[in-house]
Amino acid sequence: MNTAIVCRLIYKDWYLSRAMIIASLLVGGATLAAMAAAKGAQLAIILGIIVMATVLIGVGAILTSTMVNERKQQTLPFVMTLPISYLEYTTSKLIGSLLLFLVVWIAMLLGMIAVILGTPWFPHGLIPFVILMSVEVLATTCLIAAVSVTTESQGWMIGAAQFGGLGLNAVGWSIVRLHGIGSSMTGRQISWTPTATIILAVELAAIAVMIGVTFYVQSRKRDFV
Amino acid sequence: MNHLSVQFTSVSKRYPHFTLDDIDLELPTGSIMGFVGANGAGKSTTIRILMGLVHQDRGTVEVLGRSMPADQATAKRDIGFVSEDMRLYGTATLGWHMEFIRSIYPGWEQRYADKLLHRFDLKPEQKIKGLSHGQRVKAALLLALARRPRLLVLDEPTTGLDPVARREVLAELMAVLIDEQRTIFFSSQNTLDVEQICDQITFIDRGRIIDSANKEIFLDRWRRVRLMLPPDAILPRLPGIVEVGGSSRLPVLTINQFDPAMVAACQDAGAAVQAVDAMTLEEIFIANVQSRRESTESVVA
Repeated sequence: MNTAIVCRLIYKDWYLSRAMIIASLLVGGATLAAMAAAKGAQLAIILGIIVMATVLIGVGAILTSTMVNERKQQTLPFVMTLPISYLEYTTSKLIGSLLLFLVVWIAMLLGMIAVILGTPWFPHGLIPFVILMSVEVLATTCLIAAVSVTTESQGWMIGAAQFGGLGLNAVGWSIVRLHGIGSSMTGRQISWTPTATIILAVELAAIAVMIGVTFYVQSRKRDFV
Repeated sequence: MNHLSVQFTSVSKRYPHFTLDDIDLELPTGSIMGFVGANGAGKSTTIRILMGLVHQDRGTVEVLGRSMPADQATAKRDIGFVSEDMRLYGTATLGWHMEFIRSIYPGWEQRYADKLLHRFDLKPEQKIKGLSHGQRVKAALLLALARRPRLLVLDEPTTGLDPVARREVLAELMAVLIDEQRTIFFSSQNTLDVEQICDQITFIDRGRIIDSANKEIFLDRWRRVRLMLPPDAILPRLPGIVEVGGSSRLPVLTINQFDPAMVAACQDAGAAVQAVDAMTLEEIFIANVQSRRESTESVVA
């Protein structure tokens, strides 16, 4: 694996997406500030959560669609004529888009935790739920990235984004009803339960499986442009 | 050093509606091969296999001594590629692209890149999306040439260019040829371009290579012979007649193995030789394709 070239390709995607990433960080930061300033007003909090989720899923979809776009915009031949193998290209796309997404994701997650811990309007018991839902967003982004990289089809990618969005709602709806999560969400203390650990492990395992399957599928492809 | 830069041996690739069939191809180091074919003949598929971007179903491909597609990453360090349908990143500038390529290829020559910028009238601060088609092709050519590749693969680079841009691109290609160790594989539908810069010619049609030879040999062995045949005379049986056109009294023979002795043979048969015309590469290509298609169809029938 030529890591130097893989890094150059990731840098290229960062350079081409930088305006969108910076704009997302600004929108996310403004949303967090508005949530903190809303003094616990329910409407502001709900709108804030919707904006945060939209920003994260939107950024994930845009970053992970770069492979589809490279085929559509005919820049794929330019990249594939560089001294790289298809596996290195896949690595740069999959790992690169996830790393770039993580920049926004970590900033948002830390921002949300800071708002919860730093203002008197939110129960600290929300933090496990926020972490689990943030990892679920990461898993959804992985799903979109995996489908985008393996199918290189915009239609399939949109389908994966829609499925991921529905899945995110279903997971959120389900886990607040779990005793180990829902019961402690309104508490003043952070309560990390075994249920939360199991959900987190399942989410991380799903992410690992999606990345593994993507590399397996890519390694069996024979035609690249 | 291997004297062949590209070697295809019995290469086949099957798609649902197209088959690249049993391709044998040799490109000596330092030569320029014109790869001529109609739309859908298999030029781009051959080039994709050459670049390691498509895996052949059968056969072996060696490029610069590397087996493709297995060693494609190594081989591509010494290959420059420009394709008519290849695009650069629209939102980035040409200068950014130059810096990006320079960071990957240690052999990048900034002085030569600057010279090409001037010659092609391009500006590094120009965004790619603001360039015309001709400027985009020149930009891609600059990025390929300034890395000083040992093998330059060009897939219809002059398609869609206006005459001035085409002349500039071809002139730069000819300048590149001063380096005798540099090899060029030039695919085109435009036989004029190929005739101008190439020293080896290969024709491909319907997924098969139908002819391949040195350009001078090609041009020398194809002739159109115009005869006047008296009513009682019969055309002599000559080797290499691919087409008999004209009328029965004024036949026109298209010959692919012309020999001056054929003129004497025609005269001995009682025919008056009115003219022996050299053929352009385009005429040779069309005659070659038509005769191969007719012979294939007659075999099938």
